[in-house]
Amino acid sequence: MDYFDVVVIGGGGTGAATAYDLSLRGLSVILFERGELTSGTTGRHHGQLHSGARYALGDPHIAQECMAETRILRRIARDAIEYNQGLFLAIDDEGEALTPDFIAACREADIPAMEVPVQRALELERRINPKTRRAVLVPDGTIDAYRLAMRFFASAVARGAVVRNFTEVIGIDSSQGEVQGVRVRQIRTGLEQRYACRAIVNAAGPWADKVAALAQQDVPVTPAAGTMVAVEGRLTNMVVSRLRRPGDGDIIVPQRRLSIIGSTQRKVDDPDGLRPLEEEISFLLSSADELIPDFSKQPFRSAWTAARPLAGRSSEEGREISRDISVIDHGKTGNLKGLFTILGGKATTLRIMGELVSDQVAQYLDVDEPCRTALFELYPYDYYWRLS
Amino acid sequence: MRQSLRILRGTGDDVLHYVYEVDLPSGSSVLDALEYIRTGSVPDLMYRHSCHHGSCGTCAVRINGKEVLACLTKLEDVAGTVPTIEPLQAFKHDKDLAVEPGSLFRRLPKDAAKLRISEWSGGEIKRDPDHEENEVRPGGGEINRDPSHEANQARPGGIEHFVRFEDCIECGACISACPVTKQNWSEESLEMLPFVGPAVLAAIHRESINNPEWREEMLELAKQPNGVAACEKHFNCSRVCPRMVAPGRHIEELRKELL
Repeated sequence: MDYFDVVVIGGGGTGAATAYDLSLRGLSVILFERGELTSGTTGRHHGQLHSGARYALGDPHIAQECMAETRILRRIARDAIEYNQGLFLAIDDEGEALTPDFIAACREADIPAMEVPVQRALELERRINPKTRRAVLVPDGTIDAYRLAMRFFASAVARGAVVRNFTEVIGIDSSQGEVQGVRVRQIRTGLEQRYACRAIVNAAGPWADKVAALAQQDVPVTPAAGTMVAVEGRLTNMVVSRLRRPGDGDIIVPQRRLSIIGSTQRKVDDPDGLRPLEEEISFLLSSADELIPDFSKQPFRSAWTAARPLAGRSSEEGREISRDISVIDHGKTGNLKGLFTILGGKATTLRIMGELVSDQVAQYLDVDEPCRTALFELYPYDYYWRLS
Repeated sequence: MRQSLRILRGTGDDVLHYVYEVDLPSGSSVLDALEYIRTGSVPDLMYRHSCHHGSCGTCAVRINGKEVLACLTKLEDVAGTVPTIEPLQAFKHDKDLAVEPGSLFRRLPKDAAKLRISEWSGGEIKRDPDHEENEVRPGGGEINRDPSHEANQARPGGIEHFVRFEDCIECGACISACPVTKQNWSEESLEMLPFVGPAVLAAIHRESINNPEWREEMLELAKQPNGVAACEKHFNCSRVCPRMVAPGRHIEELRKELL
């Protein structure tokens, strides 16, 4: 039976960053993903590189984390980011009144937010609402969701990690309360195999509870569906957000020749097979028109829905659950040592999510190596295929 | 709406077409239908997908013989028929609708730039009579190629240019549709590959523009017998490209530069 120090379950951005992080610490790692890499939540995300400004008023910790990660990702994954910065637009009384507090909260979180005259904002982006009352410049950007994650996969493979797509974990083996290995099934062939390991990272995002259930462990996760709509035509170069307390439909992310409005939030039971609702699409298009008039007149391209893996349980729609990152050590919260679940977070924070869970895994395995993922530029994403 | 789809399943010589029926709201895409089937009765159905809005390039398939992105093809577009859905040609078949995309990534120019200077200046959706060089695309917005135009001068401090990702999403549609690459694109014949293919030549041309210091090297690649000279000008590449890259135009521009 093949042995690896650590098995990572889940081939999204978090799993990719975790596999890379652990490989850099000298551990042998194999990652399993039941579908294609990034086919769950990661690929479908809005594409915003968050400076953290959106969270500055409500959640200073996340805001700070986003800003720190934005700085790191710009250094290690430059060509996976359209770094054009972002504008927050106050277009009503609420936004106008909130502007000074918003800027102060950003500064508090180390986000270099700067108010610019409305005339200047209109020079920068000619399509934004001309009735904008105040405008604030922040260091947002656009991520290529697929390529950013693939850069982490390429770097993991370059450091010796093994990545298996279309391979589903169907069992977790344990003995005397400690993780011993996993059983997997190759979707290609139906073949079942066992792998021995000493630790498992459950990075299955909104499916994390189903993975943990294989070992009779509990994971409190709330899948929250978010819908986005893309139209043809790049209406701005910068990310455009509505200056108000975070709500639905208040961010427009441009990307290549597209503009994408998002998002919404509703709690769902099953993260699989999500589809946008008619009312979500019309709501998003009319919200976009408030930021960029005539957005909805652009040719419609696509609407889709992603499942956020919010950490915690909710009886409400989920907006009240924090987007904070959460690492669960099932040796402490449950009765299985060596199983760790990583939840919450955002695309912008994929690297630090890998770091936080890898810290705990390294400690469990008595490995002294620190995280080094912020130090080196990642391999270009196409090296994932050049190296294999 | 109810819709039947005829899907190629299996691997190697062991392939068959299966017909599946889906029941989805109008506006749903072929990719939504594949998700419906996989999360329902056929959990092992293999296909590649990621972004669901035509940005990642993973879900290219052939529908009734034509290369498309499954995520951007609406079920309405095929209503009234039972469309046949098959994997891309030329690429090594994995299983069902999935191919192995590596042969394209291994042939693209190594370490080429993935960002370009953004030519979008977010203008009105009409032609500016004072600036004839401004091109209005059917998608709206305005592409402004004049760097001295005021709209291209405005940018926040600390940013040299507004940038955007290159158009090509490396979906492989053009490689599958090209009558030349479709004949022989297998990895084993790497040394003897008769034609590097439209996506690769388009990337070579874009790189010669993005990185002028690499221009000579890029033109040298284009000059090889399996470069521009091997293109037979069928232009299927430009017809199927889902991102307006128009690889055929890039090949023609390279051809002019090589004269």
